Amino acid sequence: MTAAVDIRDFVVAYETGGGAVFALDGIDLAIGAGETLGIVGESGSGKSTLGMAIGRLLAPNARIDAGDILVAGCSVTTSDDETVRRLRRERLGFVFQNPMSALDPTMRIGRQVALAMEGTPDTAAVERLLVRAGLDEPGRVARSFPHELSGGMAQRVVIALAIARNPQILIADEPTASLDASIRDRILDLLFAMRAETGASLVILSHDLRMIVHRCERVIVMYGGRIVEMGESQAVFGSPAHPYTRALIRAAAGNEAPGEQLDPIPGVPPVLRAPSADCAFAPRCAHAAERCRRERPAERAVGGSRVACHFAEEIMAASGTAREVAE
Amino acid sequence: MTDVAAPVIAFRGVGVTYRKGPVWNRTEVPAVGAVDLEIAAGETLGLVGESGSGKTTLGRVALGLIRPSRGEFLIEGRPFDPAIRREGALSVVLQHPEWALNPRLRCGVSVAEPLTIRGDLDRQARRQRVASMLERVGLDPGFAERYPGDLSGGQRQRMAIARALITEPRFIVFDEAVSALDVSVQAQILNLIRELQAEHRFAAIFISHDLAATRYISHRIAVMLKGDIVEVAPARTFYDMPAHDYSRALYATIR
Repeated sequence: MTAAVDIRDFVVAYETGGGAVFALDGIDLAIGAGETLGIVGESGSGKSTLGMAIGRLLAPNARIDAGDILVAGCSVTTSDDETVRRLRRERLGFVFQNPMSALDPTMRIGRQVALAMEGTPDTAAVERLLVRAGLDEPGRVARSFPHELSGGMAQRVVIALAIARNPQILIADEPTASLDASIRDRILDLLFAMRAETGASLVILSHDLRMIVHRCERVIVMYGGRIVEMGESQAVFGSPAHPYTRALIRAAAGNEAPGEQLDPIPGVPPVLRAPSADCAFAPRCAHAAERCRRERPAERAVGGSRVACHFAEEIMAASGTAREVAE
Repeated sequence: MTDVAAPVIAFRGVGVTYRKGPVWNRTEVPAVGAVDLEIAAGETLGLVGESGSGKTTLGRVALGLIRPSRGEFLIEGRPFDPAIRREGALSVVLQHPEWALNPRLRCGVSVAEPLTIRGDLDRQARRQRVASMLERVGLDPGFAERYPGDLSGGQRQRMAIARALITEPRFIVFDEAVSALDVSVQAQILNLIRELQAEHRFAAIFISHDLAATRYISHRIAVMLKGDIVEVAPARTFYDMPAHDYSRALYATIR
């Protein structure tokens, strides 16, 4: 598997009025060509920062403290602006949370789509692309302004823009979060169909573990700016090794028995003022011991997955698989 | 006191038809066929189905926002009377809490607004009521002084629920109320709704596309397909095997 994206020991902090806040705390990750990768975590786990960093789209107050990201062998952090623009244009496709803010409100859809495509496409080519994205009336959509479309249609346009140049990597950051709940599945179907058609890698960021496991080959669980568990979706969901992954599964409706109470994860995600010297999840973890508050857990192989927890083996042995926990 | 056995709300053969197009060329679009449903005090009825199945239309009838074209809709045995809204007997919690909270007002003011409209309590009493309500939904009373923008998504949804409950309504519509929240926050809010219902005994309709969350929170679930209810069954059935083909298809999506 050749890596489409190679992320090495990547550390990002945001400068805020109250001092630096660390969003990524040492990420090592290789994204394979053509793979579907889901990144899950609560708000504030650092997943959006990771997705945006791949296209050097971080906010101006973000500061890269260490590490590098290579897209098709080209450094995103050190290359000049023109190189990064070419990378975004030719190799990357982004689908953001809110389609209305991703589209230019002053320009008709047809023109925006034409700009995203290679060369100077004619109307028929623009409409063909819109049809590929599942829009039935491409002529009408092309003549419309973004505000004349529904949220679901606008997101289909954004997906059309993302695939316009057959990118090698599609990055979708909570692509259905701002949409009406009832059309979410259809938008995800489209996204995965487009990935299959273009052969691109798809990185999808979400807090919905069930959807990710259902749709992606590989899953990464993030917490406190680190990868706490990474592996084949079925393995991670079927026998999660990190207490945070287990807590996420137990908190989600759908795994409980009738009459059983859901277990929300107590507390809130941490705000990191410095790279953590211990386990960032320890304050919310039922299994936390003295060692967890003293020593930063290294990422290591447990079962078929990679896990950053001192006690992963014991926890897996003691509590069985997630399905047993849930049922 | 009203009769305890009487349902809080009742749909009797309720049908809704939307009209669209210009006056000279009206076409009628049926949104809801003929729905018969009753919801008792302390009961949550889950309403699931795909978009366009009529869930939201039914929810709007229940809030008195649209009149049924056929049949009748009763609250506590009487036909809907708009005055009941001013009293604060009905409430709604929506997908995005931002829609319930004015970004320019401190949260406490937004939460107190239904009481202000009812106008039976003075400022001091309202303030106390808001403080105790915030505590009930798991927020520090100090949050009353903050603006919605200073809160996290979960805190904002708690705030919206506090506003919905402040008048102690007898009936609440939750329309995709947890769909925009993180998994862990979703669990907190679902548990909160359960607790508050045990305490206040309100009747509720929980509208959602998400069968997993719906079966967790509901006592009974009604499945809608193309404007009609195709199955009403205890939520427990949806952990096992629902009867209608369409319910089974929905059920399959969460396995």
